[in-house]
Amino acid sequence: MSETGSGPNDAAETGVTHAEDRGSETAARSRSERLRSDLLVVATRELRTIARTPALLALSVVFCVSVVAVAWAGTGGRGGFVPLTLDLLTFVEVLVPLLAVAFGYRSILGDRETGELDVLRTFGVSRLAYVGGVYLGRALALVSVVVGTLLAVGLSVPFLTADVPTFLAINAAADSGVRYVRFVVLSAAFTLVVLAVMVAISAAARTVRTAFALATASAATFVLGLDTALIAGLASGVVSENGLPLLLALSPNTAFRGLVLSTAVGVVGGAEVSAGHPLANAVGLLGWWLGTVAVAVWRIWPPVDGFDR
Amino acid sequence: MSRNSEDGVAIRASGVEQTFGDVNVLSDVDLTVDRGEIAAVVGPNGSGKSTLLRILAGLDGPVTGDVEVPTDGGVRNVGFLPQQPAFRQGFTAHDTLAFYASLLPEVGSDAVTDTLDRVGLAGVSDRAVGSLSGGMIRLLGLGRAVLGDPAVLILDEPGSGLDPAMVERLFGVVRTLSTGGTGVVVASHELAAVQTHADTVSVLDGGGFVASGSPDALLAETGTGSLSEAFLGIVRGEAGESTVRSGADTDADGDGRRSTRDSQTTGVDGDE
Repeated sequence: MSETGSGPNDAAETGVTHAEDRGSETAARSRSERLRSDLLVVATRELRTIARTPALLALSVVFCVSVVAVAWAGTGGRGGFVPLTLDLLTFVEVLVPLLAVAFGYRSILGDRETGELDVLRTFGVSRLAYVGGVYLGRALALVSVVVGTLLAVGLSVPFLTADVPTFLAINAAADSGVRYVRFVVLSAAFTLVVLAVMVAISAAARTVRTAFALATASAATFVLGLDTALIAGLASGVVSENGLPLLLALSPNTAFRGLVLSTAVGVVGGAEVSAGHPLANAVGLLGWWLGTVAVAVWRIWPPVDGFDR
Repeated sequence: MSRNSEDGVAIRASGVEQTFGDVNVLSDVDLTVDRGEIAAVVGPNGSGKSTLLRILAGLDGPVTGDVEVPTDGGVRNVGFLPQQPAFRQGFTAHDTLAFYASLLPEVGSDAVTDTLDRVGLAGVSDRAVGSLSGGMIRLLGLGRAVLGDPAVLILDEPGSGLDPAMVERLFGVVRTLSTGGTGVVVASHELAAVQTHADTVSVLDGGGFVASGSPDALLAETGTGSLSEAFLGIVRGEAGESTVRSGADTDADGDGRRSTRDSQTTGVDGDE
């Protein structure tokens, strides 16, 4: 199987002309309708595949148990929603990227290895439909695990909370379920972003070894890399304090953390938490998501004039 | 060139060239396959068979040249069977084909069952793909390729790694499919099966077709008794100079069927 990526260099001279329409009935279907249909078919199969993959199910259980254990063993659950958020924040920052590696790094590469990508192309599946379907199916599964776990843990807070908050709240009104829901929503967004990174890696890599190396390196960089670099930069004077809020938006982890601290926590020990610029953090997450999805669609397979979408 | 199927052409490649870096893999290759014809492409390892098939299937674009699959209003134009097909584990044969059929809403609800029946897998419809033998996996791949009744099937070494009985069974299925009007381009090292089932055989070597014709014509021209011997003679240049072809399509063996041609004149030993 050719992997050198050679393709038509001059549309005027070259052409693989496969009859433009797949029949008169197909011609009547709009492109968007076709895209949506194929995307949903692919996504459905991804969900079924995950349900049939014991390793992913086991990792999901491990994540759930870990989060529940942290909530139960720590004081957060007993202190209220905000203390619980603070307890879980680091775990989400670390475990979600690892889960995303497992759910995502072979999601497309596996199909490439089996020749499935080539076959799907002969069914007229577009790059966007395929990448979108794989991502959508995997995202639904992974977000369900993360959000479901966090919501389940959050439901325990009203039963565990003591009359007097034991962690931080000077004003009891500072702790509310709404803040925790914000944390859960932001966790879902963070999950979507890191999964998009892993799916993009899977689309771009040509070997399992490369994909795994890139995926784990990315996860490690997100979890530790930027923080470490910023600390070193601050210590050495390379990074100024004024520039820190924008720099924190560069990594999905720091952007996510900043958004959680500023919108779901807000106040700790009477002082407002400094967590970067919320808008910059949001833009950072969005930029990562759009950029990696674009990379995945671009790298999945080369377009062929007259044949490919 | 005609863009309808009234001339009975399933696929037509003209002047196809392909390079990988500085390596010229295919040079000015022409290939025309009629509907209902089984056209075999044989050649030494590394001769460019898979490259040519990928271009015919529309998976890679040639550097220059054109490939045309005339439309006939069908649901699907090209069916492709890669070397060593593989499927996702945890699904049955029926579920596997049902996924692909879902990508072709125009096909009927019985398409999966009918396809499994056509390739001889009706009895294992509910078995998990992980429990299927290598031959059954290949047949399942063939079933996947024929979903939607494409105008042309591109099969890349379908018999590779299979025992002779399964090779014969697989080629028998291919022959049955072709009698329904599907054009077939098959690359194969299974020369005995090719000799039995193919309508035309084209020998690819050195980037181009060095010989083509019906199996009987090649045997007659090389004075050999089997396609294997003819192949060896052509590729190694041991059978004399009469295997050279050039020029436009002709019916050289008088069987009323157009032979596949290249537009390159080569000597028996590959000299130009």
